[in-house]
Amino acid sequence: MKNSLQKFGAFAFITGILLMAGCEPEIDGVSVSKGDLNLDKYVAVGNSLTAGYMDNGLYREGQLSSYPSILAQQFRRAGGGEFTQPLFTEDQENGSGYLRLSGFGAGGTPVLTPVTEKLAVRSQNPTLYTKYTEEINNLGVPGIRMSDIQTPGYGSSLGNPYFERITANPTQTYLARVAASNPTFFSCWLGNNDILGYATAGAFTNDITTPEIFTTNNSEIINALTANGAKGIVATIPDVTSIPFFTTVGPTVKGLLSSAGVPGMVALTRKGSARIVFAATQIKDATGGTILFPLTSSAYLPLVGQRTGKYWRDLARQAVPANPTLGLANILQNLQVDTTQLFGVSPGNPWPSALLLDDAEQKDVSDATINFNTILKAKAQEKNLAVFDAYTYFNSIQGGFTQNGVAYSPAFITGNLFSLDGVHLTPRGYAIVANEMIKAINTKYNSRIPTADITQYRAVLFP
Amino acid sequence: MRAKLLSLLGGILLSGITYAGGFQVNLQGQKQIGMGHAGVGLARDQASIFFNPGALVRIRQNGVQVGISPLIAKTAYLEPEPGSTTAKTDNPLGTPFQVYGSYGFANDKARVGIGIYTPYGSSINWGDNWQGRFGLNELTLRAIFIQPTLSYAINDKISVGAGPVIALGHVNLQRSIPLQDVNGQEGHVELDGNAVSYGFNAGIYFQATENLSIGLNYRSKVKMEVKDGDATFRVPSAAPIASRFPAGTQFDATLPLPANATLGIGLRATDQLTIAADVQFVQWSAYKALRFDYTQTVNGSTFTENARNYEDVFIYRLGAEYALSDQFQVRAGAYLDQSPVENGYLTPETPDANAIGVSAGLSYQLTEKLGLDASFLYLNRKKRTDAADLSGGVPGTFKSVGYVPGIAINYNF
Repeated sequence: MKNSLQKFGAFAFITGILLMAGCEPEIDGVSVSKGDLNLDKYVAVGNSLTAGYMDNGLYREGQLSSYPSILAQQFRRAGGGEFTQPLFTEDQENGSGYLRLSGFGAGGTPVLTPVTEKLAVRSQNPTLYTKYTEEINNLGVPGIRMSDIQTPGYGSSLGNPYFERITANPTQTYLARVAASNPTFFSCWLGNNDILGYATAGAFTNDITTPEIFTTNNSEIINALTANGAKGIVATIPDVTSIPFFTTVGPTVKGLLSSAGVPGMVALTRKGSARIVFAATQIKDATGGTILFPLTSSAYLPLVGQRTGKYWRDLARQAVPANPTLGLANILQNLQVDTTQLFGVSPGNPWPSALLLDDAEQKDVSDATINFNTILKAKAQEKNLAVFDAYTYFNSIQGGFTQNGVAYSPAFITGNLFSLDGVHLTPRGYAIVANEMIKAINTKYNSRIPTADITQYRAVLFP
Repeated sequence: MRAKLLSLLGGILLSGITYAGGFQVNLQGQKQIGMGHAGVGLARDQASIFFNPGALVRIRQNGVQVGISPLIAKTAYLEPEPGSTTAKTDNPLGTPFQVYGSYGFANDKARVGIGIYTPYGSSINWGDNWQGRFGLNELTLRAIFIQPTLSYAINDKISVGAGPVIALGHVNLQRSIPLQDVNGQEGHVELDGNAVSYGFNAGIYFQATENLSIGLNYRSKVKMEVKDGDATFRVPSAAPIASRFPAGTQFDATLPLPANATLGIGLRATDQLTIAADVQFVQWSAYKALRFDYTQTVNGSTFTENARNYEDVFIYRLGAEYALSDQFQVRAGAYLDQSPVENGYLTPETPDANAIGVSAGLSYQLTEKLGLDASFLYLNRKKRTDAADLSGGVPGTFKSVGYVPGIAINYNF
């Protein structure tokens, strides 16, 4: 019996050992490494995408989920330094104001409502925001073009309000500001607005930057960033004609025309009075077609076929606030518009150029995008920098993809990637971009920086 | 824009609801657990009702036996490179149990018995914040088998036994839906249902020599058919979304619990030492797909289906018992468990992999009638990395360990 008790004791002892030792399953994770990089001071250069702009505004939540902020968090895992952003305060967390999805209209049409409280607006005319002039790592300025970086006064109250906000010295150009930032690592994603402004305005107002200016300014800024031997990543310009801002409304127009038995439309093209005529079947949707309608056109769709000049009255109020009546008369005369004719379907009262991106305009956009991307990649190669080819990446996901059991696509609202303005990304979309950049950085610089958990960043919020 | 919005919402959810997999629970007798869960070729105790009804009649004593095996299992997860996010399950304690009783008559030529045991089940909780939460938050799967049994000795060497099985099943599955409300809270679905199904358990026992015995056991497939289970959704309240997840939705689902065929031998090597070895064939190929049929259209479809395509597996078991005295026996054993889950089909419900189990046990006869059995099983599943691209699962690396202390009391009369 004594022997038995000893055995029992041994059994209990072994059991106890197993209980303690076998308790937790462990998996060894990847070994994090910064490779050839010095991540002490990461500086992000770029436009609204870099600033974390989304839902048609810059606000604190978007800033906190900007791709540079996500990159910096992941860099920290590999010993990266602090990363400061010009965050709006919590009291002014809604920054410039933005759009939220407040409901759905008849048939499921999304209703977008401006957020107007807790703003950081310090002046209405001109619009200016609460200043943030401490040293920052995220130099993303919404709206900035490659062509703007050497413009004196761009940081003044008559320049770009987002650059003015973070500028202490109004005479300093964006290029000078970037040069003074002295990074050990940088990201640079500029050039989108040099094309986007032309496209979103339907080629009616803005011009595409010339290749000469684009080349010069791109060289200047990359030279400035690499002056002290910093490594970095350059991103290319995505094809803006595939973003939801341009792909969402067209199918609706096509459907409306088809059900009303209207064979086609007449529209203005570019800036002049020239008209184009196109069949309903030429409008782009899933079945084919090419012509694009921007999101801004949806408000005027119900007026097609009516004898109305509402669009031109709205335009005149905006363009010539001092004397809208005179402004309207001038516009109508210049464009030879007769508002007593049927809107959008008669040569006399054509669909406005600003609410349409036709084939010729799209070719301007496409040619410039390809050209600028060649310039961006050539300069990156010259300086031996990593490249995130956003153009190739966004083209590759046009058909959608699934990750973590969530479906993603470039569809408006439902695609989880694009925010409510149809141009900028959701926090989830920015996290996906950050991860793509990390992959490009790891490949170029022999680093093993872990990607972020994209599911921790939100997509569109529904009421 | 409208049609597009509605049709594309369809892409968001229910790419497939999934549950269960290699969810067999081999914990049906404390003495057998101590010997690597081998026992088909032995007539050791009342648990023969499960292991081999043909051997039951060789038990010379009437009696009852009640046991429990609290199952503590944990799984760790690591997302695929270059990600490094990890997660760990926080599982509730599993409670497999065993109740057996038998009574002999006709000069011990025949014996009737009843067994109540839990041969299938799963309890896994990943929480609602891990990366795979749109695949699974938590799953509770329980099947209680009730088996009346008759065992008959044809002659001194051969005996047979069989019994019908009534299976009571319960399933509860919860997962996150990737639709966030204004506060950022994600949607959620809970599927909850019960099932009653039938099967049988039959066996032959052959006492080849005084010291060598052979057993063959067949346990049939049991089709667990959940009828009118409740599907409860929590999604943003805006009509175009809420209407796609209608309240009051019910579902039907079928989960096959596979057939098992086991060949076992028992060898009395010496007066003190008994050795048992089993080869168990599990016909997992019955589990082709998991399909839920809904009573209403849920997010554009009346059903969801995900491939499983399990493959048949063998489990190899070896155990030994050493009698220190008539009152006291100690045991040890081990088994090798193949995973029925093929590459590409791994799911977070069943992060399955080939496994090794090692066990130890003891029995102590407290009084002439009252005995105590105890066992301990340690289970180590191999680390497994899978793309999970064929099952709608969660890609990554999974690693599981389990440990199962168990205890039973038996009373003979």
